[in-house]
Amino acid sequence: MNLYEHEAADIFSGFGIRVPERILAATPDEALMAAEKIGLPVVVKAQVPAGGRGLAGGVKTVGTADEVLAVAADLLGCRIQGIKVRSVMVVRKVDFYRELYLGITVDGFKGRPLVMVSTRGGMNIEEVARQNPADISSLDVPIDRRLFAFEARKLLKGAGFPARQIPGCADTLVRLYQVFEAYNAMVAEINPLVVCTNDSLMALDAKLEVDDSSLFRTAKLVPKSHERNESHLEKLGREIGVTYVELDGDIGIISSGAGLGMATMDIIGQRLRPANFLETGGAITEELLYKTMDLILTKKGLRAVFINLYGGINPIHEGAKGIVRYVKEHATRIPIVAKALGNRQEETWGILRSGGVHVVTEVATEKAVEKLIELIG
Amino acid sequence: MSILLNKNTRVLVQGITGRIGRVQTHWMLAYGTNIVAGVTPGKGGTSVEGVPVFDSVLEAVEKTGADASVFFVPAPFVLDAFIETVDAGINLIVVVPEHIPVHDVMKMKAYARNHENRELLALGPTTAGILTPGEAKMGIMPAALFKPGRIGIISRSGTLSYEMAGILSNAGYGQSTVVGKGADPIALTNLSAILQHFDRDPATAGVVIVGEVGGVQEEEAAKFIADGMHKPVAAYIAGKFAPEGKRMGHAGAIVQRSQGTFASKQQALREADVTILNSPIDVIGWARHIS
Repeated sequence: MNLYEHEAADIFSGFGIRVPERILAATPDEALMAAEKIGLPVVVKAQVPAGGRGLAGGVKTVGTADEVLAVAADLLGCRIQGIKVRSVMVVRKVDFYRELYLGITVDGFKGRPLVMVSTRGGMNIEEVARQNPADISSLDVPIDRRLFAFEARKLLKGAGFPARQIPGCADTLVRLYQVFEAYNAMVAEINPLVVCTNDSLMALDAKLEVDDSSLFRTAKLVPKSHERNESHLEKLGREIGVTYVELDGDIGIISSGAGLGMATMDIIGQRLRPANFLETGGAITEELLYKTMDLILTKKGLRAVFINLYGGINPIHEGAKGIVRYVKEHATRIPIVAKALGNRQEETWGILRSGGVHVVTEVATEKAVEKLIELIG
Repeated sequence: MSILLNKNTRVLVQGITGRIGRVQTHWMLAYGTNIVAGVTPGKGGTSVEGVPVFDSVLEAVEKTGADASVFFVPAPFVLDAFIETVDAGINLIVVVPEHIPVHDVMKMKAYARNHENRELLALGPTTAGILTPGEAKMGIMPAALFKPGRIGIISRSGTLSYEMAGILSNAGYGQSTVVGKGADPIALTNLSAILQHFDRDPATAGVVIVGEVGGVQEEEAAKFIADGMHKPVAAYIAGKFAPEGKRMGHAGAIVQRSQGTFASKQQALREADVTILNSPIDVIGWARHIS
């Protein structure tokens, strides 16, 4: 889960990292009041929990009151990376002469925190990594201890940071690592960390992505009312306990596992257009599949529903009852094709057939998709 | 023959008294798995499906000689249970639960790495487990889809490993062992280490990798295959149409920072002379070719 910049900036500040004076605003008038309080010129930054805001025009420097009103009015309500902007952050404009990069992420392959630094801050760091990998220096940190200042200094020196700035940057990096640990972060990043004209350091941006699986532990720390990058149906899916990803086709898909769901989507996608990706996870009940049917059929214009289930950890016969109950109560007319294999498969097939579901008993999903194509022509 | 697990493996079930632990113990026993003990702290002295339950892993190991363990432990307690299990001397650990904090998994992986020299191997998190057809299973796989034979399978996804095994079984190609590597951003054991086991197993003729978008496991495995794998390898990668930045059910299945894309995985594997399967059903042609 990505936090908003203003949330991450507050957290960084709480750990002693210097961030510029800033005020959050939800209307143009609030933005103007904030700008007057801070003093013009200011930077107005759209708040969405996603990267690439600068390139999308979500960050503007403004010098007059009229400009503040106009820019805030422009940004509020527009969409960046598909997410509606509900607030802007008004920030004191900082004069600087150098931009640096500090980041900590999880290296999935090694299974270790990876600290990355670069003297080419302010740029898209993935772009730097692709074009000039030598411009990024990195360090694996053993997970059973913290990052020490001496190793941060060594890393920064090796990366060519200006000698005068190394102690300050190392201190900031150690603090950023403390945030990374405390928040069970997947990513903690400052891009750019700037050297101001008076030679002090300032974090001009703050990025913090926390691990969803750790929220039971960090819930007290992470801001509550957090809006995610998800559509209405994706939100409904999360609320009933399934993963729903909206796509733009017209064949609804239900699967009982993520890998199977992706494969199903890919196989259907060769000849038809999937309306969604949906996987139930391992906690199928009658009720869950009833609600899941309701969820995918909320999307208008579906031509068919394709169901792909395995009974390993899941009681698929229970799930089948939910599907059939839904179909009967709602007199669903579009074709439903189901492949359901594993523990108690014969019982499951009987239940599904009693609701008019077309059951395919072969293993290969391709065969079931052929049945689907035959039905919808 | 098989890798890692056979009918003589002495299996411990951790979290055996929970709802899922009980049900899955029933199915594992029904398959013939040699389950010798269960552990749930505070439930020592009871039994589940005739299996004695102990309070600690060390006690279970001392009393029953258990040498492998499968976890049905709630996610917040897995790190603790994992350290306990490694310290008790168990060398095959199958971590079935999902939603384990990533920082905990980093600690588990570091701890396992410190014990590498004693041949410790841990699978998961978020794995369906490991199954050697006709012998034993540790995990949640629906057994009827698997048949004994000479093809090894390594899969990130549980359900997709069932599909791949089922397609092979129906076409007359059985499996030596089916290994669930786990679907999290971090796997306790990387793909290449499992490939190495299959490469050394005289009963395995070739290996199918069932991968997904996200992460760099398949890309790293391609290097190992190019450098030192002797047996034929085929790979299917799920998620061709997965949109960027969306988590496709598995925490590890997310295309981010232009890393771990469908195209990068296919290209890396193709360059290592791996047969790319465009669809799971294509595995039949490959199995016929190598048999």
